[in-house]
Amino acid sequence: MDTYLTNSIRIILFLLIVLTASSTSAADVELDEPILPLPLAQDLDPKAVAIGDKLFHDPRLSHDNTISCAHCHRLATGGTDMLPKSFGIRGQIGAIKAPTVYNSAFNFVQFWDGRAATLEEQVSGPINHPLEMGSNWLEVVDKLKADPEVLEAFHALYSDGVTPENIKDAIATFERSLVTSNSRFDQWLRGDESAINDVELEGYLKFKDYGCASCHQGMNVGGNMYGYMGAMGGYFSVRDTPLTKADLGRQNITGRSEDRFLFKVPSLRLTAINGPYFHDGSTETLEEAIRIMARHQLGRDIPTKDVKSIISFLRTLVGEHPRLNP
Amino acid sequence: MIQHLLGPRRFLLFLFIAAAAVVLLTSLWVKEADQYAKQSNLLIQMKELDARLDRDVLRVISFLLVQYDPLVETTKRLRKLEKKAKDPKLSLYESKGKRMDDAIDTYWASVEEKLQLQERIKSQAAFVRNGIHYLPVAVRDLKEVGDNVYEEVMALLNQLYRYNLSSSKTELSRITEQIEVLKLLNDLPSTQHNTLDNIVFHMQANLKGLALLKRLEARYLSIPSLQLFETLHNIHETYQAEDARQSRQISMVLSVIILFLLMGLWQLLRKLDTARQVAEQSWNRLHDAVGSLSEAFALFDSDKQLVLHNNKFEKFYPWLSDRLQKGVSLKELLGIMPTTFERSTLDGEKIENEMPLELYLERPDSHRWYLASNNLTTEGGLVCVRTDITESKKAELELRKLSRALEQSPASVVITDTDGIIEYVNPKFERISGYTASEAIGQNPRIMKSGDKSPEEYKEMWDTITAGKEWRGNFHNKRKDGSIYWESASISPLRNERGEVTHFIAVKEDVTAQKRAEDLLRMNATVFDTTTEGIMVTDADNRIKTVNPAFSRITGYEASEVVGRNPSILSSGRQKKHFYQELWETVLHQGHWSGEIWNRRKDGSVYPQWLSIASIKDERGRVSEYVAIFSDITQRKENEEQIRYQANYDALTGLPNRSLLQDRLSQAIMSAGREGWGLALLFIDLDKFKVVNDSFGHVIGDELLQIVATRIKTCVREVDTVARFGGDEFVVLLQDISEPEDAAKVASKIIETVSRVFDLSSREIFVGASIGITLYPEDADTPDTLLQNADMAMYLAKDTGRNRFQFFTAKIQEQVRIRQSLEHDLRQALKRDEFELYYQPVVDAGNESIIGVEALLRWHHPQLGFVAPDTFIPLAEEIGLIGKIGMWILHVGCRQVHEWHQAGLEDIEIAFNLSGRQRELGLTANDISLILRETGLSGEFLTLEITESELIEDTAEEITWLQSFKNVGVKLSIDDFGTGYSSLSYLKRFPVDILKIDRAFVVDLPDHRDDASLVEAIVAIAKSLNLKLVAEGVETRAQAEFLKKIGCDYLQGYYFGKPMPAFELAEKIGVVTDPAP
Repeated sequence: MDTYLTNSIRIILFLLIVLTASSTSAADVELDEPILPLPLAQDLDPKAVAIGDKLFHDPRLSHDNTISCAHCHRLATGGTDMLPKSFGIRGQIGAIKAPTVYNSAFNFVQFWDGRAATLEEQVSGPINHPLEMGSNWLEVVDKLKADPEVLEAFHALYSDGVTPENIKDAIATFERSLVTSNSRFDQWLRGDESAINDVELEGYLKFKDYGCASCHQGMNVGGNMYGYMGAMGGYFSVRDTPLTKADLGRQNITGRSEDRFLFKVPSLRLTAINGPYFHDGSTETLEEAIRIMARHQLGRDIPTKDVKSIISFLRTLVGEHPRLNP
Repeated sequence: MIQHLLGPRRFLLFLFIAAAAVVLLTSLWVKEADQYAKQSNLLIQMKELDARLDRDVLRVISFLLVQYDPLVETTKRLRKLEKKAKDPKLSLYESKGKRMDDAIDTYWASVEEKLQLQERIKSQAAFVRNGIHYLPVAVRDLKEVGDNVYEEVMALLNQLYRYNLSSSKTELSRITEQIEVLKLLNDLPSTQHNTLDNIVFHMQANLKGLALLKRLEARYLSIPSLQLFETLHNIHETYQAEDARQSRQISMVLSVIILFLLMGLWQLLRKLDTARQVAEQSWNRLHDAVGSLSEAFALFDSDKQLVLHNNKFEKFYPWLSDRLQKGVSLKELLGIMPTTFERSTLDGEKIENEMPLELYLERPDSHRWYLASNNLTTEGGLVCVRTDITESKKAELELRKLSRALEQSPASVVITDTDGIIEYVNPKFERISGYTASEAIGQNPRIMKSGDKSPEEYKEMWDTITAGKEWRGNFHNKRKDGSIYWESASISPLRNERGEVTHFIAVKEDVTAQKRAEDLLRMNATVFDTTTEGIMVTDADNRIKTVNPAFSRITGYEASEVVGRNPSILSSGRQKKHFYQELWETVLHQGHWSGEIWNRRKDGSVYPQWLSIASIKDERGRVSEYVAIFSDITQRKENEEQIRYQANYDALTGLPNRSLLQDRLSQAIMSAGREGWGLALLFIDLDKFKVVNDSFGHVIGDELLQIVATRIKTCVREVDTVARFGGDEFVVLLQDISEPEDAAKVASKIIETVSRVFDLSSREIFVGASIGITLYPEDADTPDTLLQNADMAMYLAKDTGRNRFQFFTAKIQEQVRIRQSLEHDLRQALKRDEFELYYQPVVDAGNESIIGVEALLRWHHPQLGFVAPDTFIPLAEEIGLIGKIGMWILHVGCRQVHEWHQAGLEDIEIAFNLSGRQRELGLTANDISLILRETGLSGEFLTLEITESELIEDTAEEITWLQSFKNVGVKLSIDDFGTGYSSLSYLKRFPVDILKIDRAFVVDLPDHRDDASLVEAIVAIAKSLNLKLVAEGVETRAQAEFLKKIGCDYLQGYYFGKPMPAFELAEKIGVVTDPAP
């Protein structure tokens, strides 16, 4: 009886695996284009979004109550402060360029070096960083608990009130709502042929031809893989500033020398409005940025005409969000 | 019956256990199935996601996946699934054992490795694809150069792409070769040259990238995650099977339990049936037994309905006879009880309850008593039993009457048998003797014997009663607690109906109170006669009833002279009428009075007495007598007066002393503050009084002070206070001063009157007065500060010329302040190590070699810097700190010189300045010896210097003190010689070795004629007294030469060296100091 039972379970299991596998592959409709449209709506708890919104703009998250998340991630101008390096508390200058918070939910990891797996994990980073908010969870929770308004809002949503976990949850949920959907390019992807003009379409084709789309692909046009900064030649040796710790990239996290200069490939969704460029914020214009990318990532120079058309393509990637007003 | 009760309960219990077992069984099955479903579902998901990861990674490697979002999604889901799989709630991880945990861990480690590789594959594939995309664009650019090159490169590109698809080894070597050839061919113009180079670079990069990608692929595919999953799955299956087996076993056991329980139930039911039959038989037997009882009996069931009764029950309650049938209710029976029916407790208290559950009495009418008992059966029924006790009840009542008489007798009664053993005692006996009946019964009455009755007396008593006669007499008995009491007793024999004596009965009365009263009376009379205090008793009309011998001794009146008379014959007339009125009112209201009163003796003399009067009330609360007790307190009064005077007045002048002055000053400040008055405080110090004392002796000095006191008093008003503050100091407190001018006038007057000639022992003596004045409230508002102010002002008056007065001013205040702060710092200086000892060399006048040093103290004040010794030494003397500082100086100096000796300068001497105050503070020769011993210095090297002015005291103590230093081998020196006392007589009395000529005489040498001759005179004196001479303040060569010439032994001064720190001096005299201590 024993063997009979085990055998029958095995058979059932096998059938289940086969069936589920085939059904998922059927559901996985693949588009031909390397870029996918951003979803048009998110299913999020509006209460958590509201609390997260408040917290995102709350300077009490920093040690001396001077810096909020929004300080470096300005929602109106594309989710960054448009500075090479951001300012932390007491006017301290940070080590790396602030990436945009928009569409960060679609990044496969967070931070340039990917040291946080989720948005929730990411929240602790700036709060505890001495150059950024210079605070700690004990302090933040104490300060927020002293505010009856905050207490009330938290208790309405979370049974255990103000805790680090709940603060992370609220902020991450708010960040998931920061999606710049319905860009002109997304409209084109969804079938509206007239959404982009010929120059822009030409730019897109160049973007693919030159191999940019090898790395900048997917929903977020990037943000789903690691890539070497200077895959085709030394970016850092050409750059006119000395090497910093931040330049080592993912090596700082894994300690492996093969991960030196390895960074998360950034999303190009808002790149048209989000200078200066790269993790070191060293490059002012988009044109120059494309040239540097071509030279160091693709191993060639691109004619100005093509650079211009790629720029016009990149502009079509900028979508809409009520807070975004570039 | 009992089984009736227990049966259903046990039945229910069995049923419950069976049901619980069934529920447990079911829940076990359900839980197992649910858990298993969840785990299986998870495993399926794992497998599925793993497979999807593999598929997508392979698609990436073959460049089929143009965007990586699906991989990102799969990665995220896998990580979530890992958390779920390792959650102990699922009962998979950390709940099945190490084998399972290891399998899970290994599997997930392999997945993690795949995820890591996946990231590298993604990057690498993107890199390679990038090249594949670009190469055709680059080759197209070559077209412009020429078809030849273009086609060649194109062919190579095609080969390269083929290789990208097939990756055969031969293809690779061919492509590599051709690329090399292509490099050699490159003789194109420079623009195209670059293009071709770029193509070559990208092709090589493609090959390299592809190789790495293939390697990553191989590594990815070698990860045995599938096998690991199989292992995990198998282990899971094994555990599952084991679990299933266990739960089947448990089910089996549970089923068996249920079966047993059901069998138990059946058995139980059978037993119940048998029991019922047995019960029926017993019932019949019981019925018969009840019928034959002599008591009335009735049984009611739990519904209180009659089940069973006997004939006796009908006879006991005749009115119930036609109602007593099975099934009749208790309530109905109780309802028809006759009105005469009563219930009572055994003690006769009435009971209202109709069915009390206790033993009680029932009286159906006034003639009969039933002993009744009602008891509940275990099943709630009621058993009623009644016994007729009418006969015994009647006899008991009769007996009780007699015994009550005995119990309540006011006399204590004891009954013994013919051997005297106690058989009965009544409650009164218990109260009097303290023994309870149970303690007394069985004992012999001799337990109460106090021992003061003789054996003969007992024998007489015993003979009387054994002869059958009554005996009467007193006992002195002892209670149980040991106290003694008197009893008068009558003991008589008791006879039975045959006339034989069976018992003795003793009837006794406690007569202790009477006996006590007699004793007390006797004792009081003795006290009355022998006390030293006078006692007088008067009757309610205040006529003397009796007096005691002490009364006669104190007043001089014999008893016979005063009895019957009013106590007013003793009155001195010193107290007013209302004093007596108050006295009598107090006695009448409070019952007693005590206080001091002046009375007159028979001989007419008046004396103070301490009198206590108390009223004695009769039983109705009316005053029957008054008792007055008094003692003569003449002596005590005199003592008190004297003590008060001595405490507050100066014995010599009769003036208020310092302490009374303080009081008066405090009071004056208080009333002045209240009334807004001003006060002036004059601090007077006599000028030149010390001289008078020294010259004419203390007797004359004391007389002078008395006259000064009288003279000062004439200068002030009655309300002002003149006090002697101590020595030759007086303080005048002027009340109600409106202008400072008033105080000035008084001060002038005092100076004038004190300055007049004193004619004492036919000598004319003159002194003067310096006065310091301070004002309240202007200068200060506390007694101490006012006194301090006046004192300071007085000093200034003295300093600025004597015989004058000086008001306290802000400047003085400032000086006071500075002095106080300095005093404070000085107290810290030793602790803070602010002192340093300097050494000034003393040289031999002959060869000018250093023979010794004088130790001089330096104070480095942290703020003020160097403070002059003239400033702080007097202060240190005044506040007594000089004692400690002096010891410190001696210690440090002696140790230093000893060190120098050790360093080779074997005959350096050292001199220290000594202050008379140090004697007062207890410096003794012993201390010096101790220091010498501790520092290792020999006494012969030590000189103690004392100033000439110190020696003015010239007392025996001082001489003894100085002599004691000589005795320990120390030399003595007179400092500042020539400045002080003009007499040289002391030089003979004091044990001096050295004189030091004061710098004042040296400074103008050798030109100043007078000084020169004076110094020469001093030298002569010293030589004649065999004293050594040191000249101080030598600053020039000329001075040194002169002093040397006239025969001065030693020289000291800036010319030879300033006072300097030890190390400097050491250098000067060439000692090599050892830096290590």
